[in-house]
Amino acid sequence: MKSFVTSWADEVDADYVDGLPPSNEYIKGDYKYVTEYKFNDDGKKVKVVRTFKIEKQIVPKAVARRRNWVKFGDSRSDKPGPNSQTTMASEEILMQFIGSKEFDQTHETQLDPGKNIAKCRICNGEHWSVNCPYKGTSMDSKTVMETKANAAAAAAISDPSKTGKYVPPFMKDGGGISGSKNWGRGRDRDDSSAVRISNLSESMTETDLEELVKKIGPHTKMYLAREKNSGLCKGFAYVHFKFRQDAAAAIEVLNGHGYDHLILCVEWSKPQP
Amino acid sequence: MRPLMLQGHERSITQIKYNREGDLLFSCSKDQKPNVWYSLNGERLGTYDGHQGAVWCLDVDWESRKLITGAGDMTAKIWDVEYGTVIASIPTKSSVRTSNFSFSGNQAAYSTDKAMGQSCELFLIDVRNADSSLSEQEPTLRIPMTESKITSMLWGPLDETIITGHDNGNIAIWDIRKGQKVVDSGTDHSAGINDMQLSKDGTMFVTASKDTTAKLFDSESLMCLKTYKTERPVNSAAISPIMDHVVLGGGQDAMEVTTTSTKAGKFDSRFFHLIYEEEFARLKGHFGPINSLAFHPDGKSYASGGEDGFVRVQTFDSTYFENIFE
Repeated sequence: MKSFVTSWADEVDADYVDGLPPSNEYIKGDYKYVTEYKFNDDGKKVKVVRTFKIEKQIVPKAVARRRNWVKFGDSRSDKPGPNSQTTMASEEILMQFIGSKEFDQTHETQLDPGKNIAKCRICNGEHWSVNCPYKGTSMDSKTVMETKANAAAAAAISDPSKTGKYVPPFMKDGGGISGSKNWGRGRDRDDSSAVRISNLSESMTETDLEELVKKIGPHTKMYLAREKNSGLCKGFAYVHFKFRQDAAAAIEVLNGHGYDHLILCVEWSKPQP
Repeated sequence: MRPLMLQGHERSITQIKYNREGDLLFSCSKDQKPNVWYSLNGERLGTYDGHQGAVWCLDVDWESRKLITGAGDMTAKIWDVEYGTVIASIPTKSSVRTSNFSFSGNQAAYSTDKAMGQSCELFLIDVRNADSSLSEQEPTLRIPMTESKITSMLWGPLDETIITGHDNGNIAIWDIRKGQKVVDSGTDHSAGINDMQLSKDGTMFVTASKDTTAKLFDSESLMCLKTYKTERPVNSAAISPIMDHVVLGGGQDAMEVTTTSTKAGKFDSRFFHLIYEEEFARLKGHFGPINSLAFHPDGKSYASGGEDGFVRVQTFDSTYFENIFE
């Protein structure tokens, strides 16, 4: 330190070019300590102390000679010893021996990550029966499933839209009579097979909703109310089923059913006042 | 173990190699500067500045005096290892894919890519008195490769032959005195050879292939001795100089990397038993496929260079040496 510097303010200007105390290093026994000062990401001054162990090795002459080579290229200005910019010690890792306990733990579940082996007994979904959203509901019995399947099959046969021929919108869904009004203003649409599902969680999405109702029967339209700004679910949704009996089934099955830790409330959609 | 992470490259590593004593570790990458490191503490000795394209390959001679590199800027360069200066820059017609010094260090071979209307060729040069005039000299031997391009190359025993691995999975031995093919492996590998590395005594070598296997070949007859099977393309394989082990590194193609979790274990180094062909251990570390592997000549550590741009030097724990294969 220069002797003529008296004020600490001058000292900062004179010695610490970038406002940092100079780094120093000293050797004590088999260890070398390097102290450096730097600014961290928050602009705070931090002190970094690194400890190196000095080891002696007996090496061939050629290797010892190479040890004293002068650095060149991009390392030209590096000090002796590893530069922390280019050389880092990484985290401790262990070799995993196959057949050992830790290997089995980390690799067992990764054997075939692409394929989901779970199959639900209740709804045939790709999850375990324990986690099935229909668990404990009347869906949770084979007979209901079968009658549903039969009804859906029967409906598919009688449904003209399934024949592959073009059907004008007003002919669809048996809406022939009131058809002309049907695709006009929203208020006039046929709400006879619509249900309102409420007490949905915020994280509900259209996909989840579809997932939930498609097991009951085909639906023509669904609307999930979303908060305008956040895009989160407002807690209720309307689902228009193709058939009124499916809508009735939905109310029977889903009303009071737990979903996402919430008890759903399903009722007939009431016309807006 | 606490591996050393060497971060001297800005792009993916293409090849790494130790010198004979193992005190220096050379690495080259798709950026333009090959690096040299002290393998013991990971200190960078220097960079070899001068290439203007991705550096595909490097090799260091027996005495660690000369380094040969081949790059996408259509040159092969011979460097002074100590000072990082260019001794000779040899222009080629397309990028240089492989380059190797012979065991004695008297000769060097390099091969060019099949690109830009040029066919793949293998060149031999005499590097005993290498200086800048080497760029004008004719190579001592040129062998055009008509079938498939060379993707990997080795010198055979006694500097009499060159072993080439090809893009179609073929492996061939060329007699450099006759300048013609003497042995052909046929179709042991069904896809391109990414890497070939000799065992310590040079009697056999291990290949790493895109067909998801690594194989052990006899270096004189090219007889396939062993096969190490994995599920993914193998980019590099190396034989331990002291144990009956091979280490395999690979992963999927670079384009599929972003869709893969590091947890899936695809970027591990995988250790196989040389004789029983069975995998016995894995080591994590890289977060991209491993492109190049090299064992330290003392067998107590190994280095890997990955698509992630890092070189990692791993020193084995005692558990590795104590582990007895059942």
